[in-house]
Amino acid sequence: MSTISVDPVPGRSDEMVVNMGPQHPATHGVLRVVIGLEGERITRAVPHIGYLHRNHEKIEEARTYFQVVPYTDRMDYVSGTQNELPVVLAVEDLLGVEVPQRAKQIRTIFFELFRIASHLVWMGTAMLDLGAITPFLYTFWDREIILGIVERTAGARMLPNYYTFGGVRRDVHPEFFKDVADFLDHMQRRMPDYEHLVLENPIVHARTKGVGVLSKERAIARGVTGPVLRASGVAYDVRKAFPYDAYPDVEFEVPTSSDGDTYARFWVRFQEIYQACKIIRQLLEQTPKTGPYKGKVSPRLKISGERYRAVENSRGELGVYVVGDGSDRPYRIKHRGAAFTNLQVIPDLFIGAKFSDAIAILSSLDPVFGEIDR
Amino acid sequence: MSYIPIPEDRHFRIKRIGYDPGRSRPWLERLVYSLYVFAFWGFVIATYAGVPALFDALGWTAGWGYVVMRATQVVLLFLLSAVIALMLILALRKYLGKVQERYGPMHYGPAGGIQTVFDALKLLGKEDFVPAAADWLTFRLAPAVTFVSSFAIFAVVPFASGWTLADTNVGLIYLIAVSTLSTYGVLLGGVSSGNKWALVGALRAGAQMVSYEIPLALVFLSVAVWGGSLSLGRIVDSQMGLWNVVPLFIPFVLYVISSLAELKHIPFDFPEAESELIAGYNVEYSGMSFAFFFLAEFVELFLLPALIVVFFFGGWHGPLFGLEPGTLAAGALQSLYFTIKTAVWVWIFLWIRATLPRYRDDQLMEFAWKAMIPLALFGLVLAAYMRLIWR
Repeated sequence: MSTISVDPVPGRSDEMVVNMGPQHPATHGVLRVVIGLEGERITRAVPHIGYLHRNHEKIEEARTYFQVVPYTDRMDYVSGTQNELPVVLAVEDLLGVEVPQRAKQIRTIFFELFRIASHLVWMGTAMLDLGAITPFLYTFWDREIILGIVERTAGARMLPNYYTFGGVRRDVHPEFFKDVADFLDHMQRRMPDYEHLVLENPIVHARTKGVGVLSKERAIARGVTGPVLRASGVAYDVRKAFPYDAYPDVEFEVPTSSDGDTYARFWVRFQEIYQACKIIRQLLEQTPKTGPYKGKVSPRLKISGERYRAVENSRGELGVYVVGDGSDRPYRIKHRGAAFTNLQVIPDLFIGAKFSDAIAILSSLDPVFGEIDR
Repeated sequence: MSYIPIPEDRHFRIKRIGYDPGRSRPWLERLVYSLYVFAFWGFVIATYAGVPALFDALGWTAGWGYVVMRATQVVLLFLLSAVIALMLILALRKYLGKVQERYGPMHYGPAGGIQTVFDALKLLGKEDFVPAAADWLTFRLAPAVTFVSSFAIFAVVPFASGWTLADTNVGLIYLIAVSTLSTYGVLLGGVSSGNKWALVGALRAGAQMVSYEIPLALVFLSVAVWGGSLSLGRIVDSQMGLWNVVPLFIPFVLYVISSLAELKHIPFDFPEAESELIAGYNVEYSGMSFAFFFLAEFVELFLLPALIVVFFFGGWHGPLFGLEPGTLAAGALQSLYFTIKTAVWVWIFLWIRATLPRYRDDQLMEFAWKAMIPLALFGLVLAAYMRLIWR
């Protein structure tokens, strides 16, 4: 299957080749890393992916544009609507649709809500990988509130299929703005607890500080994006660099850290939750309670031309390249996955680390296999 | 793309946020757990007072009669250890539920009270599988070694004044010898499984044992120096006025840390670290072989806190309300004090388990060699000087 040899090296009896995954509790799905262990130290690490491959792009090329959007939900399944936005933006650009400002604001609120949801899932599973079981239960209860809000508006929890060309599929539910404000108040009460459990925990410090250091140069060379890149000291954020939707109208910071270690990646994700709350608060004030939620788009849309659009998903730059040949189906769709690209640093960070460190490093990369294997 | 309104009653989830502790009937839980504690207490009284009294009445106090009496006590203690395991597994699950804002076992028995009995029955019904790559004899022997070495600690634990199976004058040395054996079970089980994860887990257990056993032995030595004896009964006797935790505070802290490591308990559960090594040394075990590893773990979860109480918290000492020491009533009261103190320490261990993440294995070794051993030596010297000055 792979050209990279995973067999034991002849004459090296001190190295043990271990298969970590695809059924391993800490690989966040179906990652398989073939690891050479010398005692507890990792000498080789070869990631193997593809156990969740479902031929995503080819399926999408056989569907109409409206049918493509729900498929994108299935990529990064913990951050719901975030996956729909690149396709929606690209098609809107090609069609030249006017999107109402209110629709843009609603889309951005959902985008940031799912960023919080995704980071909460990351926090719980990362602590589970470090051995603490309790934060997992706490974060999943909080995520449940977000999913409840999404369900009331969009009708589905994790795969909402909510964005559409020209805006959103339906208007938000009547108590939406109150629900979101309540949730933000709740998060404000919860975040000090999480800081106490995760960021200020001396055992977390011992496990993550100075572990898995990714240098700035290496991060750029590997094409890493998102919190992993920003933890290595590069302030690249698609929301700032190529603003889309309502991001030009809101104020927020891009948290960066120069350490590049596992703890820095933890810290950056925490700060992003705060920034997401800040963005949503501003948007709750700006967004009119009623108004148009969708621009005018013909249901029989035909597209010609090509376009690349990217958004800053919870894991980094999620892009899509759409090629239309004048029919109602895309000629070619290519997704650029953030988690997929971030996974490339596994050999860099794993080799030379302890086996327990590898678990911490992997959880700090926050891979989601729906998106990696597509 | 017509707008289909969603009926309101589908949104039950948003109302379900939060957790209603009343739903798990706390009063019933308290009742069930008190019953468990009383069952435990009854077992202790039956073992240490009932059986000798019965054999006295029968007149079997010498020769084979004595042997039969001791054997009966051991069988009762075995049953007691099963009760302890059932009780502590349930307590752990219920307590984790409380901490994690969920209910824990609720459906079998009152307030989930006999859930673990069903778990044990399930384990009994499962196939006891030996992998083809495993070394049959060692693989079979390992759970027994682990369980027996944990169970053997019971022999020297004084539940009340005079209530010990063997109040030997080398109690502490016996403890070191026996408790070290449990690591052999883990090592042999992991190495003989023929599984790489189990092998890594077993080697981690070995490395861990090497690091915490030395401070543990030094702590035992401090306790012996201050108490003036290697017998556990005498050590408890010597704490009549003042519990050892005050003069021996440094050894006490080190002992708690080492017993966490000996229990393979979070934050030192490297040999089985389920998110790293899947289940570590016991990954290939199933059915009753696995149950014996589990039983050993939970018996130790009772015995190591019990030893904390014996060494540092005055054992069975407590107000006797004018009862004559040595009588049945006094013994029963003393064993109740002992049980309560131990339960508090078990709860602290469960609390640690619910709260903390895991250290890395080399960090424990570093901590043990660079911090715990020097501190333990310091504590030992301090205990010796204090003994010279004050006793």
